[in-house]
Amino acid sequence: MNSLLEMRGIVRCFGELRANDNVDLDVRSGEILGLLGENGSGKSTLMKVLFGMLAPDAGAIRFRGKPLAGHTPRDAMAAGIAMIHQHFMLIDAMTVTENVMLGWPAAGRMLRIKEMSARVREASRRFGLDLDPDARVATLPLGRRQRVEILKAILRDAELLVLDEPTSNLAPAEVADLLAILRRLRAENKGIVFISHKLPEVLEVCDNVVVLRAGRVAGRAPVAGASRGQLAEMMIGRDISTRDNSEPPRPPGAVRLAARDISAPGLSSLTFELRGGEILGVAGVDGNGQIELVETLTGLRPARSGSLALDGRDITRASVGARMTLGLAYMPADRSHTALVKSMSIGENLMLRDSRRAPYGRGPFLTPASGAAKARALMADYDIRARDPKVIAARLSGGNQQKIVIARELDRGPSVLIAHQAAWGLDPGATRFVLDRVMALRDAGAAIIYISSELEEVLTISDRIAVIADGGFAGIVPRAEIDMRQIGLWMAGRAA
Amino acid sequence: MSPPAPALPLTAISHFQRFRLRRDGLAGRIALALLLSIGCAAALIALAGHNPLVAFAAIVEGAVGSPHQIGAALNRCTPYLLAGGGVAFCLRAGIINIGAEGQIAMGGAGAAAAAFAFSGAPPVLAILAALTGGVLAGATWAGLATAIHLGRNVHEVLATLLLNFIAILLVQQFLAGPLGQFGAGFLQSPLMPRETWLPRLAGFDAHPGFLIAIVAAAALSFVLWRTPFGFALRVAGSSRRAAAYAGFSLPRLTWGAMLIAGALAGLAGGIEVLGVHRRLIEGFSLGFGFKAVTVALLGAMEPLAVVPAALFVGLLESGSLAMQRQIGVPSALVTVIEGMTMLFVLAATVRRP
Amino acid sequence: MIEFLAASIRIATPLLLAALGGILSERAGVFAVGLEGMMLAGAFAATVGAWACGGAGMGIVLALVGGAAIGLAVAIVAVRFRADNMVTGLAVNILALGLTSYLMRILSGGGQPVSIHLTLLPALPIPGLADIPVIGPLLFTQPPLTYLTIVGCAALTLFLGRTQAGLILRATGENPEAVFASGANPLFVRMFAVVACGAVAGLGGAVLSLQQVGTFTDGMTSGRGYLALAALIVGRWTPWGAAAACLVFGAAEAFELRLQSFGVPVSSYIVQMAPYLIALAVLAGIGRSSRLPAAIGQPLHRES
Repeated sequence: MNSLLEMRGIVRCFGELRANDNVDLDVRSGEILGLLGENGSGKSTLMKVLFGMLAPDAGAIRFRGKPLAGHTPRDAMAAGIAMIHQHFMLIDAMTVTENVMLGWPAAGRMLRIKEMSARVREASRRFGLDLDPDARVATLPLGRRQRVEILKAILRDAELLVLDEPTSNLAPAEVADLLAILRRLRAENKGIVFISHKLPEVLEVCDNVVVLRAGRVAGRAPVAGASRGQLAEMMIGRDISTRDNSEPPRPPGAVRLAARDISAPGLSSLTFELRGGEILGVAGVDGNGQIELVETLTGLRPARSGSLALDGRDITRASVGARMTLGLAYMPADRSHTALVKSMSIGENLMLRDSRRAPYGRGPFLTPASGAAKARALMADYDIRARDPKVIAARLSGGNQQKIVIARELDRGPSVLIAHQAAWGLDPGATRFVLDRVMALRDAGAAIIYISSELEEVLTISDRIAVIADGGFAGIVPRAEIDMRQIGLWMAGRAA
Repeated sequence: MSPPAPALPLTAISHFQRFRLRRDGLAGRIALALLLSIGCAAALIALAGHNPLVAFAAIVEGAVGSPHQIGAALNRCTPYLLAGGGVAFCLRAGIINIGAEGQIAMGGAGAAAAAFAFSGAPPVLAILAALTGGVLAGATWAGLATAIHLGRNVHEVLATLLLNFIAILLVQQFLAGPLGQFGAGFLQSPLMPRETWLPRLAGFDAHPGFLIAIVAAAALSFVLWRTPFGFALRVAGSSRRAAAYAGFSLPRLTWGAMLIAGALAGLAGGIEVLGVHRRLIEGFSLGFGFKAVTVALLGAMEPLAVVPAALFVGLLESGSLAMQRQIGVPSALVTVIEGMTMLFVLAATVRRP
Repeated sequence: MIEFLAASIRIATPLLLAALGGILSERAGVFAVGLEGMMLAGAFAATVGAWACGGAGMGIVLALVGGAAIGLAVAIVAVRFRADNMVTGLAVNILALGLTSYLMRILSGGGQPVSIHLTLLPALPIPGLADIPVIGPLLFTQPPLTYLTIVGCAALTLFLGRTQAGLILRATGENPEAVFASGANPLFVRMFAVVACGAVAGLGGAVLSLQQVGTFTDGMTSGRGYLALAALIVGRWTPWGAAAACLVFGAAEAFELRLQSFGVPVSSYIVQMAPYLIALAVLAGIGRSSRLPAAIGQPLHRES
C-alpha cells in the first residue's frame, strides 16, 4: 500500500473562525480512513480544501507523489480525486448517463451518449450499483442517487474517493449496501476517506480513524482495538451534561393533540395522541416524512383525510393562523428562511406572528412603543445577546437566532409545540439551552412533539419515542421500554 | 409573487428599513449610481459634439426656469409618483408589477367615461366621480392581472406585461367607438366637460395632482411601516416561506398590493386626462409603466423616497425637451439616463448574502 | 392562403430568433426579459452598420455585436452582481430604447434621426427546392436570415441535447452547485449564455431592419421581445416548440393585416390584440410548467 494522499499543516480560516488549524492527514491506497468529528469540527472544510473548492491559508498537499496547490475541482478530478458530497451534486431533471457525462471530457465535445450508457451499465454491474442509465435522477430514491455519485467517481478512474457524511440520508439497509460497495472499492486498491460523525459505521468499515475537534486533530488510531468510548471522547472533548431526563415519568395530562388517520401526500395514515406534560420524540432518518408530518400538523400542508384535534377542537381544516391562535407553536427546521426573516430586526421577528395582537399592534395599526418594550423583555428572558431589538437578525449567531424563535414560540404559552431539528447546527451551549427550555415547557404542562434526525438528542429528551419511516410511525414506545435494536429496525422502514 | 416554489429573491433593497437609509449607506450608493449615469450621459453629450455642462444647464432651466415650467414639471411627475409609489409598494411584497401602463390607460378611460356620465354635476362632485372612475378602472385592470397570476399560475411579470398591450388596444377601441370624437383626425375623445377639469394654480399651471400624489405616497409609507398589513407585505417580500409560516395569506397580500397599485395608477390616468390633456387621447400612457419601475427602484422601494425620485425623473424629462430645442441634444438622452441609473442602482444595492 | 402562411413565417422569423436567444439564457438560469432591448439594439446596429459600411453583411455582424453588448450589460448586473433578473431586463430595455434613439439622431448631426433607406434583403430561392408546389414558395423562397433562423433552430436543438457545452448550460439552469462541483464555472456559463442570447436576439432585430422594414425607427420592436419571451415559455423552452409558438403568433398578426381583404367586420384593434390574447390564454392554460429550469432566477452563491 503506497501513500496516496499527504496533507500537511493545513490551515483555513473564515474570519476569526479557524475551521482547520494545522491539520495533517495521510491516506494510503487500499485504505479506508475515517474522518470523525461533530458539526463544525472542520471535516467538510478540510475536504473542500483537498478538492480545490477552497484555498488553504497555509499547508501543503501531495497526491500520488505530486504536489497539489492552487487547484480547482477540475484539476483535482483530473488528478484522480473524487468527492461525493453530502448533498448530492446531481441534476434531478437529467438521466443517470447525462449526470455522468456532465463536465467529463472523456464523454466528448459531441456527447457519445450510447457509449457512455454502455459504460454506466457495465460499471454498475461490476460494483453492484444497480443503476439504469436512462433513469431520470428525480425518480431515484436517495440511496440510488448516491450511487450515481459513486459511479461518476469510478468511471473517472478516481484513485481517492472522499465521501462526506454518506450515510446521513440512508436507512440502515442502504447503509449496509454502501459499506459493501466501499469494501469492493478498497479491494480494487482505491483509497477512501469516510467522513462521518457516526461512530458505529466508522468502526465497522474503516481501517484507521482521524478525529477532528474544533479544527484540530484530536487523535488518530487504527480501528482495530479502538473503543467507542475512546473515540467519542476524542470527538466531544468534554462532557456535555444536558439535564438528565431519567426522572420517573410523571402522570400524563389531558390529551392536547389528537391525530386520527391523518394522511397527506408523503404521509400515510397516522394515528397518535399527545398529552400535556410529555415530550414525544420522533426519531428517523431525514427524508422519511418528517417535513410532511410537521407541515400537515401545522396546516402548511392540507391533510388529505383524517382528523386533527387540538384541546378537543377540530382543526383539520383550520388555517395556519387559526391553529396558532388556538395554541399551536412551531419551530421549523429551516430556521434561516422559514422561522426567521434574517433581514428584519429582532423585534420584527419576535412579532412575526402576533403583529395584529397586543402589545405589538392594535386594530389596523402597529404599536411600536409597547412592541419594543415587549421585545426587550423577551430578549432578557431568553438570553438573546444583542444591543437592542432593532439589530438585524442576520447579525446574530445561530444560537441567538434560534433563541428568537424559541422566545417567540414559547412566550405565547402554547398548548402544543412542534419542534423540528430545534438544536441543529448549534454549539453545545446553545443546544443545552434549547433542550432545557423545551423540557421546561413540558414541565409547565404543554405537549411537545420533538423531531430530530439526531437519535442521541431524541433519546435524551423524550418521554415517549416514535420512529418515523416512509411517511408513517413504525412504532411508538415509552422511554422505559426502548430497545435500540428495535429502533434501528424501525428506522430501516417498511420498504427495503 | 409567483406561487409555488422556487422563490425569486429580489434585490436586497426590498428588505430595507427606512430609518437605516443613511446608516447603511443605501442613499449613498443610489447617489453614486446616479452620479455614474450622469457621468455617462455627459460622455454621450460630448459624443454629440456639445458641452455637457451647457446641456445640463439647459435641462435645469427648462425644468425650473419659470413658474410655468415648474408647474409643467410637477404635472409630469405626478403619474410617476403615483404609479411608482404603487409599484414600490408591490416590490416590497416581492411582486413585480409592470402593468402600470395598462392600468393608467384604463384609468384614463374610466375617468373619461365617468366624466361624461357626470357632466352637468357640480364641479367637486364631477371631479370626484371622474377620478373615482379612474381609480376603479385601474384597480380592476390590476385585479385582472392578479386573477390570472394567482388563478392560473402565470408569472406576474408576463401577466401584467401582456395586459398592458391589451389595455392600450382596448383604449384605442374605445376611442374608435363610444368614447371617441368623430371627425377628429386622430383618435381622441371629445373635450372633457368643463366642470371636470382639474383646476390649475394660477401662474404655475400645475394641477393639484402632485399634492394628491404626495399624500398618497405618505399614506403608502404609513401602511408599509405602521400597520400589520404592511408588515405582512414586507415579510412576504423578504421570505415567502416565512410569510406562510407566519400565517399570512400570500394570495390575500398579493390582491391587496396589486389593487392598491392599480388604484393609484388608475388615479394617475384620471389625473392625466382631467388635468393635463382635458381629453382622452391615444397613447397618453405610453412608457409610464416602465418609468414607474425606474422611479420605484431609484426610491429604494420606499414610497416616501419615491417622491424625490419621481421629481428627479419628471424634472429631467421636462427639462430635456428644452435642451433638445435649445442645444440640439436629443431628449432621448433622458431615457438613456433612466436606463443606466436603473442598472447602476441594481448593481449597487444588492447585498451580498 | 400560401401568401398568408408566407406572411406568418415572415412575421415569426424575428420572434423566433429572439426566442432562440432567450432559450439559451433561460435554460442557463437567467430570465430573458431583456430580449426587447437586445432586439432593438440589434436592429439599430444592423441598420447603421449596413448604411455606414455599405453592406448587409456588416449590418449582420454589427447586429450580433449590438445585441451582445446589451447581453453583456444584463450579464454583469444580473449574473455577476446578482440583481433581480426581471428588473434588470426591464432596465436594459429602457436603456436600449433611449440609446438607439439618441444615437440615431446624433449620427445625422442635426437632431433629426438620420435618414436611412436600405434595400431589403431579397428572397433567395433555393434552386430545385423552390419549385416544389406549395412548400417551395413557402419554405425555400425566403430571405437569407430566415434560412439562418431555421438552421439556428436545428443547431440549437443539437447543441442543447448533444454537446458537452449544451449539457453544462442546461445543468447550470437546474443546479449551478452541481456544475461547480463538476469543474465548470456556473458564473461563466451564465454570463456566456446571456451574451450569446443578446447576440442571437440582436440578429432577430436585424431581420426586422434588414429584411422587413429597411430602416430603423424609434422603438421599432414594439414589444416583439416580450412576445418572444411568451413564445419560448409556451414552447417549453425547446427550439422547435418556440418555433411553433412563434408561427401561431405570426399567423395571428398576419391575419390582422389581411383583415380588410377577408372582409370580416371585426375591429382592427381587437384583432391586433390577438397575439397577446393567445399568449395569455396559452400561458394561463399551461400554468407554471414543470419544464421551467429549476434554478432559474436564483442568484449564484459562491464559496469564497
